[in-house]
Amino acid sequence: MTQLANNAPLTCEGLARSFGGVKAVQGVSLALPAGAVTALVGPNGAGKTTVFNLITGNLKADEGTAQIRGRPIIGLKPWQVARLGVARSFQDLRLFTQMNVRDNVLAATERGAWFWQGGDRRARLAAAEAAMEATGLTALAEARAVDLAYAERKFLSMARILAAGADIWLLDEPASGLDLSSRLRFGQLLRDARARGVAICLIEHNLDVVVDLADRIAFLDRGLVLAEGAPREIMTDPKLAAIYFGDRSHEAAA
Amino acid sequence: MIAYFSNLATLVAIFGILAVTLNFMVGFAGIFSVAHAVFFGLGAYAGAQIALTVTPNPFLACAVAAGIAGVLSLCLALPALRVRGEYFVAASLGLQMVALTLFSEVKSLTGGIGGLTNIPRPQVFDVEVGVLPLALLALGVLLWAIHAMANGSFGRTLKAIRDAESAAEALGKPVAVAKALAVAFACAGAGVAGALFALHMSFVNVESFTLDQSVLVMAMVIVGGTGTLFGPLVGAVLLLSLPSALSFLTFIPPTEVGSVQQIIYGLAMTLLMVFRPAGLLGDQNKGKSHA
Ligand SMILES: Nc1ncnc2c1ncn2[C@@H]1O[C@H](COP(=O)(O)OP(=O)(O)OP(=O)(O)O)[C@@H](O)[C@H]1O
Ligand SMILES: [Mg+2]
Repeated sequence: MTQLANNAPLTCEGLARSFGGVKAVQGVSLALPAGAVTALVGPNGAGKTTVFNLITGNLKADEGTAQIRGRPIIGLKPWQVARLGVARSFQDLRLFTQMNVRDNVLAATERGAWFWQGGDRRARLAAAEAAMEATGLTALAEARAVDLAYAERKFLSMARILAAGADIWLLDEPASGLDLSSRLRFGQLLRDARARGVAICLIEHNLDVVVDLADRIAFLDRGLVLAEGAPREIMTDPKLAAIYFGDRSHEAAA
Repeated sequence: MIAYFSNLATLVAIFGILAVTLNFMVGFAGIFSVAHAVFFGLGAYAGAQIALTVTPNPFLACAVAAGIAGVLSLCLALPALRVRGEYFVAASLGLQMVALTLFSEVKSLTGGIGGLTNIPRPQVFDVEVGVLPLALLALGVLLWAIHAMANGSFGRTLKAIRDAESAAEALGKPVAVAKALAVAFACAGAGVAGALFALHMSFVNVESFTLDQSVLVMAMVIVGGTGTLFGPLVGAVLLLSLPSALSFLTFIPPTEVGSVQQIIYGLAMTLLMVFRPAGLLGDQNKGKSHA
């Protein structure tokens, strides 16, 4: 952990958060190394999304600390955390529905809230075009987000992340519901980013995707990290498999 | 007759300013305020006081009115912007009520219920100028500014906030700053409309700044089409011409014009929302619900 943390732009220690009586997250410690995909897996309601929300400042942590390159970020507002280099996706996407694809992506390159943006406008346009190209959305640039097909929406959410130019990505089930060919394209996006040194945290239920892409896995259950390590160790642990699939069959029966 | 149409045109231009600026808040930033008449009123009192006590120069009256309405909108809106969507409507409703009481009570500035009278005609370098050209100029400048913002990064930021506030924030945008700027801009515009209104009427009182007036301006925006450039202007023309048009229908007894007008307003709004939910100039796809 310490050895990883040296190379980890984002670390958190003992994050905890309850909702009324529900201990959604109880003491989660993580380090996201640069140039690696860390998969956050666990049954429904394990607290995965809540961990993201605590890191990004969308939720207040009851306890715990988090740092970006050594800088404490607990208590910062979401936009401040974003400006430290964190880009996140949402489980429910939250696209700018009435805007077209290009504006969705351009908006991701513009941080200023003032009447005009500082900086290099051409560079922003180029970043947006590149992000659309990489996600296969160039031909749909003028289409409104709300009119896109399911997979296209997922890729638009990824295009915003690409365009934001962040080096820490928190992705909440970005590949869920994608067909095989889309999943392969998505995998390539992630590999390219990893090669550029982006620290990626990937919440994913599909274990094929996890095995394919993850360098490390953190297994979360009822707000606790039960295990953390190389995919081989985690995937072959019968105890974890029982929790993971046990909860699922239980759920299916309900 | 010319005087009649000139008066109507001036009012259309002034309410056009109110409608396009409110639309900037509602249509682009998704901030639903039913207190636009408050800032109209602040501008009217400020403009009237400048004309009465400092100079009949309308540009100074408009500038001061814009400044006061814009700055006060910030003080009042900042706490309220912390709440979301429908709660802001309630907050602005509260503001509308409080402001109306203040307008009637702070007699030294507003003249109380009686209002401010004998406001001098606007003059530029000792030459009297009509309010109509001034109002058209202000409307043109505001439309140009809104057009530029709508197609630029600021408009994109506001639309992003309107569509998914948390996602906009997650991209590093300080949402509160953008919203506050949008509110200040829109309310400064309402202030200009107020100053022009005071100069045009040469008398103002609290009755022009009621909740009814705020709702009327909101209706102009919705009827014309929120988020469009010219829709609110069309709404202003329609809703202001309707009473005049009705008064030409001689078979309606004058005592009944008011209620007939209300019925026509109501019916027209209902039919419009059923058949063109995005307003007359709006993109009809927007109004539809998507699965
Ligand atoms: N804002 C909230 N208010 C109340 N309870 C919440 C809130 N957010 C999460 N919870 C609860 O916290 C627990 C963890 O939720 P979370 O969304 O983090 O799970 P998850 O691991 O992301 O699940 P899933 O795989 O279904 O997305 C759940 O019991 C959930 O009901
Ligand atoms: Mg989740």
